[in-house]
Amino acid sequence: MLSRNAQGLYWIGRYLERAQHGCRLLIDQLETLKDRSVEEIELSWRRLYGALGRVPLGGQLGSNLGDDWFMLADAYTLADDLTFEADNPDAVRSCLGTARENARQVRNTINKDLWTCLNLLFLGMRELSIEDIWQDRPAEFYQSTENAIRTFAGVADSTMYRDESWHFLQLGRFVERTQLLADLIDAQLATFPAGEQPTESDWLSLLRICGARVAYGRLFSLQVRPSLVVGFLVTDPLFSRSIRFGLGVISDALGVFSAGRPLTLEAGRRAGRLVARIDCEWPNHDLEDEDTTRALLQQVGQSSRLLHDDIRVAYFDYEIEDVPQS
Amino acid sequence: MNQKTSDRESGASGRRSGERSGLFADYRTGPLHYDEMFGSENAPREHCRALWAALKDMPREEIAQMQKRAERSFLHEGITFSVYGEGSAHERIIPIDIIPRLVSAEDWHFLERGLRQRIKALNQFLSDIYGACQVLADGVIPVDVVRGCPQYRTEMRGVEVPLGAYVSVCGTDIVRTHAGFMVLEDNLRVPSGVSYMLANRQAVKTSLRDIFRRHRVRGIEHYGALLRQTLAELAPPAVSDPTIVLLTPGVYNSAFYEHMFLAHEMGVELVQGSDLLVHNGFVHMRTTEGLRRVDVIYRRVDDDFIDPLVFRPDSQLGTSGLFHAYQLGNVAIANAPGTGVADDKSVYAYVPDIIRYFLNEEPMLANVETHLCRHPEGLEYTLDNLDRLVVKVVGGAGGHGMLVGPHATPAERAAYAEEIRRDPANYISQPTLDLSCAPCLSDGGAAPRHVDLRPFVLHGRETRLVPGAFCRVALTPGSLVVNSSQGGGGKDLWVLPS
Repeated sequence: MLSRNAQGLYWIGRYLERAQHGCRLLIDQLETLKDRSVEEIELSWRRLYGALGRVPLGGQLGSNLGDDWFMLADAYTLADDLTFEADNPDAVRSCLGTARENARQVRNTINKDLWTCLNLLFLGMRELSIEDIWQDRPAEFYQSTENAIRTFAGVADSTMYRDESWHFLQLGRFVERTQLLADLIDAQLATFPAGEQPTESDWLSLLRICGARVAYGRLFSLQVRPSLVVGFLVTDPLFSRSIRFGLGVISDALGVFSAGRPLTLEAGRRAGRLVARIDCEWPNHDLEDEDTTRALLQQVGQSSRLLHDDIRVAYFDYEIEDVPQS
Repeated sequence: MNQKTSDRESGASGRRSGERSGLFADYRTGPLHYDEMFGSENAPREHCRALWAALKDMPREEIAQMQKRAERSFLHEGITFSVYGEGSAHERIIPIDIIPRLVSAEDWHFLERGLRQRIKALNQFLSDIYGACQVLADGVIPVDVVRGCPQYRTEMRGVEVPLGAYVSVCGTDIVRTHAGFMVLEDNLRVPSGVSYMLANRQAVKTSLRDIFRRHRVRGIEHYGALLRQTLAELAPPAVSDPTIVLLTPGVYNSAFYEHMFLAHEMGVELVQGSDLLVHNGFVHMRTTEGLRRVDVIYRRVDDDFIDPLVFRPDSQLGTSGLFHAYQLGNVAIANAPGTGVADDKSVYAYVPDIIRYFLNEEPMLANVETHLCRHPEGLEYTLDNLDRLVVKVVGGAGGHGMLVGPHATPAERAAYAEEIRRDPANYISQPTLDLSCAPCLSDGGAAPRHVDLRPFVLHGRETRLVPGAFCRVALTPGSLVVNSSQGGGGKDLWVLPS
């Protein structure tokens, strides 16, 4: 398929995943605001911003410690920053706008149902502001936005022909997911280090963000142990929001259409190496040793960023070395 | 020459004639304009009777609802066009009016034959002026009218055009007055609007499905297939399964929706200039599997922007070397570069003579009477009758630089006359036309609005067209401007079976 179209689909996948991740983080954060102490709330924001690699507007968090009212006002500003701030390219609305703009450019490669799904999502959000959603159950807004993104994924799954267009959409989605997960888990370990007595609810909230509570509970009883949680989110091959699962999808997709050109093979190899590292290296390290865990996680995050570059130069922006004979 | 329209208004017998109720209660036709639905004594025309009967008693709220639903579906599906320089409101829908315009089988038959005749003659004309130039030698049309036209491309002299099909896609603007159908303008470069023809059909078919079914309206949905077939026929002879692409200037072009839509309908790639590259005289596109050869380009960018090496060097939209590949016959470009000379407003005046010269037939579709200011008698006539005429700039488009005499002040006319005297060859004049009207929804009821129609004619090995057209309507009361960028809307056009 046309490189520009493949690139468009890839970015639709990435931006929708990013928007969905933003919604999930904020849903959890709103839950935290309900019954946690001001200090806990502040830590939770710290994790959230750390996971996104963003500095909140104003530069710092928690300047109003001890004052509940200010804390809530702060939440309003921060949620606005992550949802509607036009200057934040990773804000939920910006992501949806970019996804939709990409879709507009490659509309002839996606079907009408998919387009309509995304277009309606964007149109419904275009005129909104934080005031509109904050008064009346903001969590519902994030929930319905996430549902709409899931609907898009569902429509894609049930309608798309499994050619390259499907695989590039998947690639974008899972490259993004892998990076976001690595960053989120790393931020969790940075914010809630093991030396301190872990608060169960902080780790439950991580599981909630990843939608992993039920699966985790089934495997490891209901007791929440940080090392088990991290291990599960990194290595479980069957859980769709684990790093290992994402890398599996990426590896498969690259395997389907690596055309035998050197650069495309390179991308596939890198994905393969990452899979091997998680399958073979991860289980051997001391799960309680957080420094090693974090170092490994950062390598995984770094590698999946390089994976993005590999994909770009292999399929979208390649040099014209050899032109086929006419 | 003027065709006899099917003016068989249904019997003006007492009770029915003039009966207006419901939707049409406030509908008033005037003597000046031909009305597409109502004939003499305000009785519906024979072929419109069933539609009239179905609509007249329908509750106004119900029709208004249908109208809203149709517009909403356009917005949701992104059936929009871009308006340049409008800040935030970049994407707009072309308003649709859901009351269809009906065309009788006889009228369509006449139009179709006229259109076939016209495209055939225009293609032979283009072939001649870029080849033997017999039409110029025989004095049918003055040399300077052709060569002086900015759309005349010397680069096209002697280029072998596949099948002689310079114009493969033509959108002809046709209006109707009491005198019959007339061609207002031929669009032979990159005519647009066909996607709205299809989108309007889809929307109206959904809204008025029972009425639609009863009318046994002739289908237009195969347009994409016909276009693809036409383009495939242009491919270099050695290629058996040609790769066709649609070349768009990109997402910021006002007709981008249409480009996307047509690429989708035909199942071909939608490419931008940057997706293509020329190597060893062949055109390729950049795909995820490497480069792939391209055989036919349906281009929706203007001549100027096709190839910066040959045409405008500052163009970012085109592909270097494309024209060279075309000259070598390694790729087909539709429409061919240089077709604009045949829809130039001065050349337009000669189309009836062109038809007579090349086909040895009388033209079926009338031209609008046109006075060329380059001729002394045309200049004199124009200046003497400025208050009754529409004056147009020869190379202009979209109504730019136009003077509508009856609507202008004496001072404006005097200033314009000065301009004309300074460069007469740049102007033509035409009488102000009384465009026909058709009922449109307005404040819940129906009101007459001016309409035209643009059928699309395809020309490859043979000439093809679907029985339909993009019907444009001036939604502002009294306005004659149907242009989409100036408040114009669209209607579905139903061609009835014989």
